[in-house]
Amino acid sequence: MTANDSAASSEKEQKEADSSPVISSAKDGAIAGIAQYDVAIIGGGVAGYSAGMYAGRFGLKTILFAEKIGGTIMLTDEIANYPGFSMISGYDLAEKIRQHALEYGLKEVPARVAAVERKGSCFRLRSGKDGKDMVQAKTVIMATGTEWRKLDVPGEEKFTGRGVHYCALCDGAFYRDKTVAIIGGSDSAAKEALLLAQFAKKVYIIYRGEKIRPEPINERKVEAQENITVINNTHVTAIQGESKVMHVDLDTPYEGSDSLALDGVFVAIGHIALSDLAKQVGVTLNGKGEIGIDRQARTNVPGVFAAGDVADTNFKQAITGAAEGVTAAYGAYTYLNEQDIICACNDEDC
Amino acid sequence: MSVKVFSTQSCPWCHRVKDFLREHKVDFEDLDVGRDEKARNEMLEKSGQMGVPVLDINGTIIIGFDQEAITEALGL
Ligand SMILES: Cc1cc2nc3c(=O)[nH]c(=O)nc-3n(C[C@H](O)[C@H](O)[C@H](O)COP(=O)(O)OP(=O)(O)OC[C@H]3O[C@@H](n4cnc5c(N)ncnc54)[C@H](O)[C@@H]3O)c2cc1C
Repeated sequence: MTANDSAASSEKEQKEADSSPVISSAKDGAIAGIAQYDVAIIGGGVAGYSAGMYAGRFGLKTILFAEKIGGTIMLTDEIANYPGFSMISGYDLAEKIRQHALEYGLKEVPARVAAVERKGSCFRLRSGKDGKDMVQAKTVIMATGTEWRKLDVPGEEKFTGRGVHYCALCDGAFYRDKTVAIIGGSDSAAKEALLLAQFAKKVYIIYRGEKIRPEPINERKVEAQENITVINNTHVTAIQGESKVMHVDLDTPYEGSDSLALDGVFVAIGHIALSDLAKQVGVTLNGKGEIGIDRQARTNVPGVFAAGDVADTNFKQAITGAAEGVTAAYGAYTYLNEQDIICACNDEDC
Repeated sequence: MSVKVFSTQSCPWCHRVKDFLREHKVDFEDLDVGRDEKARNEMLEKSGQMGVPVLDINGTIIIGFDQEAITEALGL
């Protein structure tokens, strides 16, 4: 059977899947057959839901797992570079892409996938308590995104959530009329600083390089913002305080002092790819831990695709992640069309 | 059942938490710690956190949108 044939029956199967327990839970040795899908998407950010939307259009029976529905874009207040929207909030964009995917019958599971393993020509995904909930899929799209890179200096862990933060939109409101620093020099760091400047009385951008490197449009905004000061060529070496953050230590003196008084520190020094699950099934990662993909979003493992921030593409934006997600769905569709895959092993014991 | 959500207006995960509670028809008290200092102090005292969302479900404090922990605390 090809994917074309399966497309016709797939809508019906999807409806059945929606009304029955999707995930078999192994209890006391009584095992129902494990639910089968054409595509399992791991990740509920823009890349995952874009893949889900297109997989639905291709008539593929698709399940999507999301630990955090919406993903990273939700943490940005203003998106001005997603074609078709001159300005939209990250929350709204995430929700629009999600709803679009759900229109095509995507099965959404708000849970973390704990493990993925190859079972014959298929893949078994485990989620839930002790990994007892299982599904099988003929193809997997990894759209797991990234986590914040830590600064890794004394005081960071102690004050996390109490003076050290990673998301201005989430926690910026605590710093109304206070003094804060953003650490980092990327476009994201600049955007975080601009957001904080709306709450805080003073915002420092502390960057280890020679010159911060936001998009020119954001660079101009930073320059024009009176309460933002950029400190280049400087590392923060420690975050100090007692019950709350009081100052940071600098390796290069600023205005004659190697300590800068602050109420809060926001860290924006990049991200680390969440690629452990891909590694479990033998996917090749680059030196940064990102998943290597080709122009069809294929990894080195047949049947495994990847998209978005977890992949090894240089430019990581919502639109590029969405495009890769769509490409990955097409890759899965083509792969399923080219061969007849049967998930022979359908219970827990094999 | 007493459910308090400590949130700010801009925090995206707070919106998700509140949507989740509404979907499950759970009544809750919404406290904006960005503006309400008393609520902010209560949250700090209970969680030691200056990050939102924080939930107080019958005395169980849950930091962040931890859906599994929320589901368990609510007995859903
Ligand atoms: C401050 C900031 C500002 C930004 N501004 C812009 C902007 O203006 N315009 C723009 O286009 N881009 C912007 N970006 C970049 C953009 O947010 C990302 O490129 C995009 O959101 C990545 O989407 P993604 O789907 O690849 O990953 P993510 O959105 O990170 O999604 C990953 C998903 O995978 C889930 N996940 C991870 N592991 C598992 C697991 N084991 N099981 C189940 N689920 C799992 C996560 O919970 C999440 O749902 C910004 C980023 C930041 C940090």
